[in-house]
Amino acid sequence: MTNRTLSYLWTLLFLAMAVILSIAIGAVFIPPADLWRILTGSLSGTTLSEPLKTFAFIIVSIRLPRTVLILLTGAALSGSGAAYQGLFRNPLADPYLIGVASGAGLGAVLAMSVQWPYTFWGLMAVPAASFVGALLTVFLVYALARVGKAVPTTNLILAGVAFSSFATALTSFFMLRSTGELRRAISWLLGGASQAGWGPVLTILPYLAIGLGILLLSGHTLNLLQFGDDQAQQMGLDVTRRRALILIAASLATAAAVSFSGIIGFVGLIVPHVMRLWFGADYRRLVPLSIISGAGALLVADVIARSALSPQELPLGIVTALVGAPFFLWVLRRAKNQGFW
Amino acid sequence: MFRKLVFPLLTLTLILAGCGPATTSTPTIILTDGLNRTVTLPRPAQRVVSLAPSNTEILYAIGAGAQVVGRDESSDYPARVASLPTVGGYSGFNTEAIVALHPDLVLAGGINTPELVASLEKLGLTVYYLPNPATLEEMYANLETVARLTGHTTETATLVDSLKSRVAAVDAKILPLNSRPTVYYEIDATDPTKPYTYGPGSFGDLLIQRAGGANVSSNLSSQFAQLSLEQLVVANPTIIILGDSAYGTTADSLKQRPGWEGLDAVKNGQIFPFDDNLVSRPGPRLVDGLEALAKLLHPGLFK
Repeated sequence: MTNRTLSYLWTLLFLAMAVILSIAIGAVFIPPADLWRILTGSLSGTTLSEPLKTFAFIIVSIRLPRTVLILLTGAALSGSGAAYQGLFRNPLADPYLIGVASGAGLGAVLAMSVQWPYTFWGLMAVPAASFVGALLTVFLVYALARVGKAVPTTNLILAGVAFSSFATALTSFFMLRSTGELRRAISWLLGGASQAGWGPVLTILPYLAIGLGILLLSGHTLNLLQFGDDQAQQMGLDVTRRRALILIAASLATAAAVSFSGIIGFVGLIVPHVMRLWFGADYRRLVPLSIISGAGALLVADVIARSALSPQELPLGIVTALVGAPFFLWVLRRAKNQGFW
Repeated sequence: MFRKLVFPLLTLTLILAGCGPATTSTPTIILTDGLNRTVTLPRPAQRVVSLAPSNTEILYAIGAGAQVVGRDESSDYPARVASLPTVGGYSGFNTEAIVALHPDLVLAGGINTPELVASLEKLGLTVYYLPNPATLEEMYANLETVARLTGHTTETATLVDSLKSRVAAVDAKILPLNSRPTVYYEIDATDPTKPYTYGPGSFGDLLIQRAGGANVSSNLSSQFAQLSLEQLVVANPTIIILGDSAYGTTADSLKQRPGWEGLDAVKNGQIFPFDDNLVSRPGPRLVDGLEALAKLLHPGLFK
């Protein structure tokens, strides 16, 4: 088997195990034997006994949609993270580098300061506002960083960092001024928001499909960009246009992912690095591998978030950094492939 | 012959069947909750999960304690709720833990998010969102609402009457007063140069006024507001109430804070610990809070 097939095999295996864990573990303990009975029972169509029905309901209506939402979110964040790192040729880049998170946070907190009616659209106000806030921020930063026709990466990063600070300060200001509940905003900003059901999954799916689809096809472009803008241009790449496309795709996926789950840090930074350390820096492979393992990594983090202090839930953003950082440091120390960047 | 018999027999059975349940069944309960949702219960709820400490206190006060099967983590009153399973709290609620308790009513409160209500509703649970009251009258109305949901209207009418007469007893002593001591109520002074205190619109502010005090933070702009130490020094309250005494703040630790030693209340030793739950949880114990505050502010009137 080639190295390449092996890398896909390992990451897919990891993802599959993470999905099983995420469905099997929760606040309510479901014995593995019952889990098996529910699975076989629902496949063969036999009716389940009363306690099993509750378990089946919990699995199908609560754990399954949440698992899929977290899987998609992790995939979007890690895939975008890999693309951003390649695009900016910067190991510190994550999907929030040029303001998606701070823009989304500002939009969400602004929407929370209004008492929306309890209707479908009222409940959509926060995710919609965060999605719009994130995309507006990226467009604004891109416009601000522009010098003539070129958009130098350094300008993008600096404009992004400056605007993020501005938006974060506004967010904090609105949170302090609000008379209502702060914990809703705080839990959103820490990645602890979760809405049940298939609604969120179906809403973000199209954006993720478009965004991640473009990123999956951009591996070659990202490889060329590693030679520097001038070199890539000389090799026949329309640098400005391609970069804008990748930027839009990654931002679209990230904005959709955070709109329902809140701001989950660290996955988008670390997963691409681990993949790079283990499987090399070829972006044609790095992007898909990051997407697969990012989904798995966030699922594992979510299992911990749900079970560590059960039945209380921890915000996901706390778990990703608390568990992810030591793991990454361990990987970094063991890396044979020194100076990998 | 046979056919001729069947029809009357069938009719008779149907009539009897129709009569049976009609005599024992109670009317369906239909109410509009704080999110303008219509909530329907076929009969008073028998398995209630409470998602807010104030809701738990209301349920027990009106005599529905035996029907409570789950609570949020902050619910700690009355003490016997400690044995009930918890379903989450401050950082997040666990929907599957709630589903597993098979509640026929989930009683959400003003501290819960509409997203949580929507999630539970999607799972087929009956959720009633009890809004935070702004006045004591609205708090009584909340008690009556929960009473209807759980089938305790008679006890609750008695309870509300006694709460009202206790409030009236306080009013009778306080209203004739001309002088009202100035009060500073502390919620959190992690940063002693700008401690958190109750501003207008909060029950803390409302009850201090009703108990015959003048809250030095009445003119701030939000319910929970930071008061600058400079303003506190200028206001120079007669009485300091430590709502944060549960977190270890004492009169002695307050005296150690730089810049606080000049306050009259500190010089005269007018610093009192207080159970903040009596003013922060919008339930029947607000009346306990009112009485306790009135006693603190006017010890001569309440022996």
